[in-house]
Amino acid sequence: MSADGVTFSPVPYARTWRALKFMAPLLLLVVLWQVVVTAFDVNPRIFPDVPTVLRAGWSTIEDGSLAAHVGASLWRVSVGTVLAILTAVPLGIAMGVSRGVSDFLTPLFRFFSVLAGIAWIPIATLWFGYGFGAITFVIFNAVFFVVAYNTLLGVSTIPMPLRHAAAALGASRWQTLTEILLPGALPNIVTGIRTGMGFAWRGLIAAEMIATNVGLGYMLFLARDFYRTEVIVFAMIVIGVIWLVLDRFLLAPLERATVERWGLVQQS
Amino acid sequence: MIALYSIWGYYARWTARWPALAAFVPFIPLIAIWAFLAWLEIFPRVFLPGPIDVVEKAWELLYKGILTDYLADSLARLAVGAAAGMAIAIPLGVFVGLNKKAHDFSWPILLFFQAIGDIAWLPILLVWFGFGLTTMTFVIVYTVLFPVVLNTVLGMRSVKPDLRRAAQSLGASPARILFEVTLPGALPNIITGLRNGLGYGWRALIAAEIIVGTSGIGFLMFDARRAGSVEEIVVGMIVLGVLWYIVDSWLLAPIERATGQRWGLVTAR
Repeated sequence: MSADGVTFSPVPYARTWRALKFMAPLLLLVVLWQVVVTAFDVNPRIFPDVPTVLRAGWSTIEDGSLAAHVGASLWRVSVGTVLAILTAVPLGIAMGVSRGVSDFLTPLFRFFSVLAGIAWIPIATLWFGYGFGAITFVIFNAVFFVVAYNTLLGVSTIPMPLRHAAAALGASRWQTLTEILLPGALPNIVTGIRTGMGFAWRGLIAAEMIATNVGLGYMLFLARDFYRTEVIVFAMIVIGVIWLVLDRFLLAPLERATVERWGLVQQS
Repeated sequence: MIALYSIWGYYARWTARWPALAAFVPFIPLIAIWAFLAWLEIFPRVFLPGPIDVVEKAWELLYKGILTDYLADSLARLAVGAAAGMAIAIPLGVFVGLNKKAHDFSWPILLFFQAIGDIAWLPILLVWFGFGLTTMTFVIVYTVLFPVVLNTVLGMRSVKPDLRRAAQSLGASPARILFEVTLPGALPNIITGLRNGLGYGWRALIAAEIIVGTSGIGFLMFDARRAGSVEEIVVGMIVLGVLWYIVDSWLLAPIERATGQRWGLVTAR
């Protein structure tokens, strides 16, 4: 979160070393892939070799189509996720304030968080037509219900004595909200965001296969129509790398930092 | 307002007596609002059908036997895929969890393949296996596999070394340590992984059925979308939601809670 969350390792280049150790098996896998493909003379329509994939990848980078697809996908994910967080967190907290209300609404939210994402694709395409609206709606949906449910859960796990103590010390409603409820629920909220985005990312790929003409999912599906396996493999790698970077370098550290900083509230 | 409070009072009293009610009653106001919105016809009826239309459609689908057939197809695919996924995932997770070298080597690969995500495999699977059962089974196995493997490994590594050493110094063989210390200690994590994996697998199945499209609930919904029948889509969504709700909260969540209570102690501080 802040600068003090960064730890400086006494060993120089420790981070680089760890990154190398992380990359080594993957590089080995690439080598293995090339060896197997050449050794068994695999039909490139079934599985292409490494240089072919690299060439295909380079050509999509060169003509700018990769940037367009990745940009479109990331833009949809960001819009959907931000909208969902902005609406889900206040709603979750409002519901979580009262025990009775939260118990009442929990089954509803469980039901809808189950449906989250992919199951909405058919009806979303009908409501919004094929394109940005439908896909953003699917992503919004995937994130919204998971985050709202987790916020609700987070607020309801804050020990009552804490809230009573704040009230007894004369905290206003606003202070209770910003100093007890929000910080207390924060670890759950962040976990919810991470889970929700995991569903959203998959939902995005599925939705783009069905309902658009730009984006990573579309890139995959278009390549399939022309049996261009090398483009498919390249797009799969791009999808994997983007999600890995997003999850490991953004969401997981965020989750860890909030749990370390605010997670104390839950231990009692 | 007072009427509302007295209704709330009744609700509180009845759910205190029958807790199962709490899982159903909250849907009543939701359905009422839905019916009201549909009745107002703010949105055209083709876009937002009322609950009664949907129930009629569901009855029709049930009567024709389509719904039950498709449901059986979806469930069978999920069950087969999940069983195969688990059969591969748990031994693999145990192996990776036991062996430090295997762990260092395979962890990045596991993370990467999990990140690719099931649905991104669909196009290439279609090239390999065509539109059919193999493609769908592969997707589900793939989806279930990774959460279970990753969680099994995490669980095995979170068992405190002290416990293993204690068993060892009391003369337990490696096999006994595995079956009586490490595996029970990892069980809560394995179950959590299973629950996540099935959750992802369920969604992957829907996507696969929409795209591959031969039968199943996902196919039902997308076919209805092509025909413009919103009622059928809504029926499909409700069936999906109810089914998963039942599986998750009456089957998986209790198992998770039970194992957590029974075996979770091992990892507790």
